[in-house]
Amino acid sequence: MRARRYGAEATFVDELSPGEPVMLREVLLAAFAAAGVRVSDVVPAADTLVVTHDADDVAAVAQLITECSRTLEPLKLEITRDDTRVVEIPVRYDGEDLREVAESCSLSVDEVIALHAGADYRVEFCGFAPGFAYLRGLTAALHVPRRASPRTRVPAGAVAIAAEYSAVYPRESPGGWHLLGTTSLVMWDTARPAPALLVPGARVRFVEVK
Amino acid sequence: MLRIERVGFTTVQDAGRSGFAHLGVPTSGAADRASYLLANRLAGNAPDAALFETAGGLSFSALADVDVVITGAECDAVAGGRPVAHCAAFMLRRGESLTMSRVREGVRSYVAVSGGIVGTAILGSLSHDTLSGIVPVALQPGAELAAGASVASPSSLDTPIRPAPARMLRVTKGPHHDFVSVNDSDFLARNIFRVSTRSDRIGVRLSADAPSKTGTAATLRSVPLVRGAVQLTPSGELVVMLADHPTTGGYPVIAVAQPDDVDRLAQTATDVALTLAWSQ
Repeated sequence: MRARRYGAEATFVDELSPGEPVMLREVLLAAFAAAGVRVSDVVPAADTLVVTHDADDVAAVAQLITECSRTLEPLKLEITRDDTRVVEIPVRYDGEDLREVAESCSLSVDEVIALHAGADYRVEFCGFAPGFAYLRGLTAALHVPRRASPRTRVPAGAVAIAAEYSAVYPRESPGGWHLLGTTSLVMWDTARPAPALLVPGARVRFVEVK
Repeated sequence: MLRIERVGFTTVQDAGRSGFAHLGVPTSGAADRASYLLANRLAGNAPDAALFETAGGLSFSALADVDVVITGAECDAVAGGRPVAHCAAFMLRRGESLTMSRVREGVRSYVAVSGGIVGTAILGSLSHDTLSGIVPVALQPGAELAAGASVASPSSLDTPIRPAPARMLRVTKGPHHDFVSVNDSDFLARNIFRVSTRSDRIGVRLSADAPSKTGTAATLRSVPLVRGAVQLTPSGELVVMLADHPTTGGYPVIAVAQPDDVDRLAQTATDVALTLAWSQ
């Protein structure tokens, strides 16, 4: 784990293992609050994390990150023990790319569905659009690169895969992922107290509905 | 109270939303933060009040007397038939209209009304996020907007501030600076870049006079982006992240621009040439 400047108003942390950024975020939020350091955002990605803050707080943020890096290991265990809640996402497997994915993976459509719905996922980070969660846990047999040409319109609720991730499109948008199906769940709604159904670190399962 | 007569290229902006970037929500907010803060200060508003950011074409009428200030890009503006001075508070009387035509120099004008625009915030902000389609205050002809209470008297600058274009963008190394190979260092150090027409509130695109020799095959894991982060795209363009930038991105971040220079870049018109100035 290494922290360095990311322009005048942010700090970039890398050399993290997958899964660590989400936990580091929790640890850092507590540490910043305890120390009275006000930060704007703490944003995890796949193996990096960024803190945005006032230019004046560069040194304070760097010091807290160093301190937290020492306590990350014991806290990791505590956090992992603590989450048993799983978000279940009902999916109608009627996606336009289901057959194509099956062919390129040398599987039957039923096997693709069974593999996708049979895995345990965890939100590694969010990005691309509000409420768009990158879900780690897709079985290697279903790893296919993004479509060569992205669709200009992917409907809200589309359940998709690309490379090692699965995701659900929270609203209609362009998109280059392979569409396996659709869910009726609303992934993102700013009228809800918690607008995002999936937050970093959440456990997720897909459940087939016919 | 105001009534929108013509929207033009206008959005409502404030200091933006923080605390939701981990859910994929951009910060948004005013693109040129210095001009935004100045407009609110002169209007006697709280520093985080909402105002209009316009690239021209805005027109509204006053349904009650209201003080107005315009900062940022200088534009042709007429209030109640009188020409408007830049960075100077003026009163728009009930029934009068402020009509802004094109921006004369710069890109974005900031129009603050005393008390600021009020409305129902989404995720703590009234900012129109053009990337995510978050629009707390919809602007259309006939829309009536409320103004809040000001915290101080409106004022004017003796010498108006006109944002200068960014001829030199001061940058520090980004996390993927090494991605630009050693034999391609001239691309960044000695190149002339020009602001592309495809720039918007999401990012300012800079096309290079001498193209990059760096390959585009590298696949990087997405990293969190910040305002001012400079991405090198596969086509060899640079994109400097502006207010509505996505929260994460997969292109190499080779530099990060100084916050003040990002303000200037947000006011730099198409085809203006600039260079990068590297510092530690």
